[in-house]
Amino acid sequence: MNVAIYLPLLLALPLTLTAGWLAARGTPGLIARGLTGSAFVAAVSSTWSLVLLALTLLDDLPPLSALDDHPTLELPEPVPGPVALIAALLLAWGAVRLVRDIHLRTSTHRRLRAAGTPQDGLVVADWSAPLAVAVPGRPGHLLVTSGILRLLDTDERRVLFAHEHAHLAHRHHRLVALTGAAAALNPLLIPVRTTVAYLVERWADEDAAAVVGDRELTAKAVARAALATVGPGPKAALGMHGGAVVNRVRALIAPSPEPRRGRLLGPSLLVAGCLGATAVATAEFVALARAWL
Amino acid sequence: MGNTPAGRRARGSLESEVMGLLWGRSEPLTAADVQSAIGGDLAYNTVQTILIRLHEKNLVNRRKAGRGHVYWPVEDAATTAAKRMRAALADPVDRHAVLQQFAASLDEDDAATLRRLLQP
Repeated sequence: MNVAIYLPLLLALPLTLTAGWLAARGTPGLIARGLTGSAFVAAVSSTWSLVLLALTLLDDLPPLSALDDHPTLELPEPVPGPVALIAALLLAWGAVRLVRDIHLRTSTHRRLRAAGTPQDGLVVADWSAPLAVAVPGRPGHLLVTSGILRLLDTDERRVLFAHEHAHLAHRHHRLVALTGAAAALNPLLIPVRTTVAYLVERWADEDAAAVVGDRELTAKAVARAALATVGPGPKAALGMHGGAVVNRVRALIAPSPEPRRGRLLGPSLLVAGCLGATAVATAEFVALARAWL
Repeated sequence: MGNTPAGRRARGSLESEVMGLLWGRSEPLTAADVQSAIGGDLAYNTVQTILIRLHEKNLVNRRKAGRGHVYWPVEDAATTAAKRMRAALADPVDRHAVLQQFAASLDEDDAATLRRLLQP
């Protein structure tokens, strides 16, 4: 038990460091799925490493020490007690963060669903703040304020509806929830969560542009909605910083991106590394635990 | 990428578009107004049918004007929805958990960049 058990804890770092680079290239859908999948694997394997490290504390428990047939043999040898203790604390902290994240997400979605009964997939809220959200469910629906409907013209409203429908059609809330859970378990993955949140917006923008058949109109609608939030008054938006909107508009003004699967080579290698290290660490742990018992 | 073939709209999306239009304008609209605003190949009769359906569902009000009717949105449900939506989003932390905002808030620099990008 040495390198293999610590490796998954660090493998989230290269993912975090390259997420932004990847997001700026290739089709948003492909990259969003790739990043979500690898973040999920990275989070699960780092959590499993923490579990194994924390389990090495067991041989220090008095009742188990009494049962110990081989007092000289300590359960997984090269793990120092303090390291195992820190692992246990990180594990508990991650569990608390995960529960909080899931609770927040489900309760917000439940409250948004309860805002009104959708008619033809739409709930209008008579509120001047320019807001629009896709509310996931079976089926999902759109919740938009009268503020944003008044702000946009007919064509731009079509962009808005197409954008939000894309979120529902591709079940973007799942990607966002998965990366949220991954970032809760392993805070090194927080930038990946931010990147995926940005990418699903890009993805919905590209979809909307395809539906209305006009990239420039899509860019205008996004920019206009964002500009309405400047200055005093209710802030529309959240979940990402304003710079992200600028990037979305830039991307829409540029030609549509080419799909390049090769971009996912890095994340794929990382997933393979995580799985390999986790398998080796688990095998080592099982071997030591057998010997100890 | 769109799963709606060009020229055809997903089920319910025409109704959404009409509701969006009625909310978007500050004055009541006739069926002809709606038809010309939404444009495209939409037949007058289709618009009429949608408006009647929306009226039957109690989503829009109407009153006689000239030979036809003018339509405007019913506000009760929307006022309730606004109250609940506001409450659901009251805590800024909660908002992070909300999926998909159409647009994020901007600072002045970003706003200036956007205005520049939109200049032809």
